[in-house]
Amino acid sequence: MAPYDDWNRIDEDDEDELQDISWLEGKRDVILFCIDCSESMLELRNDSIYEDTKTCHLYSALEAAMQIQKRKVLVGPNDSVGILLFNTSRRNESTSQGSEIKRNNFVYQPIEQISAPKVLELMQLLDAARDDPEFLRTEFPPLSGNKRVPMGDVFTSCNWVLRDGAPKTATKRVFLITDEDDPHPGAGGQRLITSSQTTLLDLTQAGVTVEPFFISTEEKPFDTSKFYSSILLPTNLEDTDASLLPESIFITRIEDLIAQMRIYEVPKRSIFNVPFQLADGFVIGVKGYGLVTEQKKGSYKYFVDLGDKMGVAGSKTIYADIDDDAIVEVPKDEILYGMTLGATTEHYEKGGRVVPVGSRVFYTAEEVKSFRSMGLEPGIKLLGFKDRTELRFEDNVKHSTFIYPDEMTYSGSKRTFGALLRSMLAKAKIGLALALTRRNAPPVFCALLPQEEKPDETGWLEPSGFHLVPLPYADDIRAAPIDEGSRASGEIVEAARAWVLKLAVKNGAYPPDAYPNSCMKMEPGD
Amino acid sequence: MPAERAGYTVTMFLVDVSASMGKTRTVDLPDALNGEPRTAEMTNLEWALQFVKLKIQEMIYHGRKTEQCGVILFGAAETKNMINDRSGGYDHVLNYIDINPPNASTLAKLSELQPSEEIGDPIDALVVGIETQRTYLANKKTWTKKIVLLTDGENPIEVEDWETIVEKMNTLEISLTIVGVDFDDDELPFHEENKSTIKRANETFFHQFTAELENGVAGTCALAIQEISRPDVKTVKSTLMSSILRLGDVDTRSDEAIEVVVKYSKCTAITRPKSFKKFGKRQLPHGEQTDPESNLWVELKMQTKYVLEEEDEDSDVEMKDGEDGSEDTKVEKGDGKKEPEALDKETLQRGFKYGSTYVLCPDGSFPKLDTRKGIDIAGFFKAKNFRRDHPMGEVYYVWADPNQPQQQVALSSIVQVMDKEGVMAIARWVNKDGAEPKMGVLCPSVFEKVDCLLWVQMPFADDVRKYTFASLETLVTKNGEQILKHPYLPTKEQMDAMDNFVDAMDLMEAGEKDEEGNRSPWFDTRLSYNPALHRVKQALFHGAVVSDLNTNPLPPPHPELLKYFTPPKRVLKRARSTIEDCKTAFDVKQVPKKVARQRKDGHVRAPDEDEDMLLLDKIPPRTQSQLRASASAQRLPVKDGSGSETEDDEELLLDQGAKPSKELPTSGPEPGRIVGRTQPLEDFRRNLVSGDLVSKAVEDLGWVVRDIVLKPFASRRTEELLQCLRELREVCLKEDEIDAWNEWAFRYLSLSLVSCH
Repeated sequence: MAPYDDWNRIDEDDEDELQDISWLEGKRDVILFCIDCSESMLELRNDSIYEDTKTCHLYSALEAAMQIQKRKVLVGPNDSVGILLFNTSRRNESTSQGSEIKRNNFVYQPIEQISAPKVLELMQLLDAARDDPEFLRTEFPPLSGNKRVPMGDVFTSCNWVLRDGAPKTATKRVFLITDEDDPHPGAGGQRLITSSQTTLLDLTQAGVTVEPFFISTEEKPFDTSKFYSSILLPTNLEDTDASLLPESIFITRIEDLIAQMRIYEVPKRSIFNVPFQLADGFVIGVKGYGLVTEQKKGSYKYFVDLGDKMGVAGSKTIYADIDDDAIVEVPKDEILYGMTLGATTEHYEKGGRVVPVGSRVFYTAEEVKSFRSMGLEPGIKLLGFKDRTELRFEDNVKHSTFIYPDEMTYSGSKRTFGALLRSMLAKAKIGLALALTRRNAPPVFCALLPQEEKPDETGWLEPSGFHLVPLPYADDIRAAPIDEGSRASGEIVEAARAWVLKLAVKNGAYPPDAYPNSCMKMEPGD
Repeated sequence: MPAERAGYTVTMFLVDVSASMGKTRTVDLPDALNGEPRTAEMTNLEWALQFVKLKIQEMIYHGRKTEQCGVILFGAAETKNMINDRSGGYDHVLNYIDINPPNASTLAKLSELQPSEEIGDPIDALVVGIETQRTYLANKKTWTKKIVLLTDGENPIEVEDWETIVEKMNTLEISLTIVGVDFDDDELPFHEENKSTIKRANETFFHQFTAELENGVAGTCALAIQEISRPDVKTVKSTLMSSILRLGDVDTRSDEAIEVVVKYSKCTAITRPKSFKKFGKRQLPHGEQTDPESNLWVELKMQTKYVLEEEDEDSDVEMKDGEDGSEDTKVEKGDGKKEPEALDKETLQRGFKYGSTYVLCPDGSFPKLDTRKGIDIAGFFKAKNFRRDHPMGEVYYVWADPNQPQQQVALSSIVQVMDKEGVMAIARWVNKDGAEPKMGVLCPSVFEKVDCLLWVQMPFADDVRKYTFASLETLVTKNGEQILKHPYLPTKEQMDAMDNFVDAMDLMEAGEKDEEGNRSPWFDTRLSYNPALHRVKQALFHGAVVSDLNTNPLPPPHPELLKYFTPPKRVLKRARSTIEDCKTAFDVKQVPKKVARQRKDGHVRAPDEDEDMLLLDKIPPRTQSQLRASASAQRLPVKDGSGSETEDDEELLLDQGAKPSKELPTSGPEPGRIVGRTQPLEDFRRNLVSGDLVSKAVEDLGWVVRDIVLKPFASRRTEELLQCLRELREVCLKEDEIDAWNEWAFRYLSLSLVSCH
């Protein structure tokens, strides 16, 4: 059996580091695509990629949903998705849970764990729609007479669909896709707006985040102030001032929909929440996020052939006293820790260490932990400031993490953090800090690299915060093994200059977006 | 100093066990937990042997077969050594442990040593030591030879032939370390009071002796023991790996492309603390005699078992064949639970999880990628646009082949141009043909006499997460207006305070003074030892050499490990007033930790009354909404007009979380419980929504229900309690708390009920 490891994988040095956030990956993500199915969403337009093909916004939205599902298969096989369509007269089948969903809301796919058949089903639907431009209109007929279902009903339906299908501890999100910026105009609208507000609040309080994707076209620009800015809530109820506009509203061209959704593909989860001590008695709260993390492929499992079926084999690790053939498992709480007895234990009489009753030569698990953490509690401690240029290229051992203030643990964190950030940016300084972000981890010296907020070309805001760059310890630094060599003279250097300049990249930076990982695409069954 | 060849060393330990070594001394121990200073009484021999044991422990730690040692005693009651065997003499010198790679029994044997009634001569031992070592290494001339001599210097020494010995040791390139008990030392500083004349003379002799050696040192034992825990960095010579640096299309446009033969080696490499081994007490079979005085502790071994995983009640595993996805085999779940049976690893097949389906991956079904070993430069970009937060791993040096000057010139030209132009290169790195490619950047590095590139891996598009965060600069209201004054935004006064703080806490001139008296920056990665690594090592060693941690606990960490844990004193002093200003200006307050948050029940439903009725009718039992709706209908007046909600929101600014009504669960759980008696279901659900305390919530709801049932008037709440149980059961099923449910339902509840009826 060719083990997976042999497959194109050579360096596994940083295996331990990648484990850091595995407990987070264990948390499931649930996405409900909630797609408007109105007349304008079904209107046929020239496809942006294929000539002679007519597609509609609904098609693009479903395709985006399919793409996200396909990605999830690899990166989050435990996650669940569902698709809800609104403003359609298609009825839910009475047998399914859909029977209780509000009128004119149709559950196309209930919330279920990602699976190949489901993705296939969606792909077949899209194929059919591509062959027959009228297919989607017949399959999901829009409400006649440009009538619209109350948005309050849509949010309520979302709530029910998620309630029935999502594990309670999962991160639950609704990706709302619509091109209608004013669903409830006119005199009777106020009542519907009010009900939208309350149902959306209800949804948010049930732990669901609504991520809106608003489609804007030249003939039908999307104006959030007409309706949505008065009902949308910040993503985190406790954290943010509710009078402010939520941070994540996307108004997008239909062609960019997939790209926008990709940004939201992974739910935002913090990896730690610790006090940040600027000085004795001057402490704020921060949360840490992994913005640069190696995206791992799905993990393999072992299967056993049981004759009539295949079973999943789980592994179980035990620690045991193994002496010849006798294997005696030792319970975890009876294990103590110490130094290896040496490579040549076989020369050692009795095969162990004789310890008089009442004496102690081994450490407890708790003591071992404290040796690692040096007895420190989790937190980030500022040690001072240095010039930006002091952070050298070679002072790197692993990826950085990003920290952002947390008002919920210390009120005033945002203004303090913001002031520190501004001041350091103005003075071109970096911070030096001692960080212990997990209880069992060793303390690490880090550079605090200030990040200025700036929008990128997709409209996403590069956030303000600090990058926590772990510095190597003296123990991690290797001396240069070569200290002398032949060097190029002036002429040769001049000759090299010509083609180095010729090969300069246009936009002048390392563009990660330009390099999708080719390995992620090579999977069986893809 | 050139990196020493690791291993290939024989160290002879010459230990003085003369009667004088039995003198006892008081040794300071780390303070007890209650802060009381503690001391221990031990003989000089016991104390000084710690040095030898720690040295030997270091060898065990490295675990090299080529790092060996032997122990020779002098002043021993017995005489047994190779010179005496051959030609007599050299009395009271005992070859105690033969030269071997040491292990734990070496340490155990040292622990058995007791002072004798005799007097030993260190020079005799030295001669025996040199001879024993020389004989052992007769065919291994390149090995490093070390001798460590441990003595209190209280006994007379035959010094007449010492120059010959020095000469011999220099010829054999032996290094000698003399560790003296209570020798005088100016560095520590230590000067022994009432030193005997003979010892004073001996100390002088030892210093004279080692001074004559090309490689000799004499020092006091206290300093030697202290310094043995000083962190030191093992200089690892990185291996050079071969690769090729390519620029341009070598195959089709070779005239415009170049290739440079390169070697790469690690520039940074994470060194992890050595792991502790797990130990367990050996259980002896019945009837076998056990020593009532002691236990045998053995190193445990890890064993991985494979067992058949139980599937969830309602989830089928569908099997898909790797090559052909069309043949799906439904797998039904077997009836009833059975003991997990251990599986033979040989019979297992590997596969991938494809959502809720699995795909077997038979032999060789993964195509090799079409990649070619080498480093391909894709282009250059301005170094100032380099995102310092993006590098993902360790850094590598890329050198031109050290044996090919032409290649060195070629690489040098690239490095020099890149350095002068201030650019870095984007490069694709493939370790070997067909391996996964990595993207990264190459940065020019110009050393004094050589040029090279530094490589670090950068993220692929999949590796960068674009989360959204609220702006810290621009706050906008829902009406689209920008807010300039807000508790989230620093004021002018706060900015001034922060600017002063940042200036005062500057470390650029807070380090050591250089030769010209200028202060260097404080903190240097090259001097910042990994505290965990060295502390763990110290703990491992200490545990291995002492006989009881209760009487001889682990000493505190070496100060060198903690030197960067707090800002320099000078800086803190300078910053003191700015810190006080900041504290006042920013007024940061810790938000009290809350156990659970009260939900805004007033907004659960739309104000439309008909709607509420409809909900109640339509939803089948056991769903959350119905419970919530009915709960709110029973206990909480539905707040009228959520139109006022937006106005309320205006006030819910910074202190939102601090309002007491939101802080405390109104139902008042018992201390330590997160579910209270008054509204158990509400508390329970709230905790589920927040998500991180599911087990605790399950446990506590169970506890509360039982508590209520056992109290008077429980019958009044029958409906509510049944509802609690239904929901608890549902949650247990869904959240994998089945064991908790079973245990609780059967053990506690039924027992409690039985006992009360």
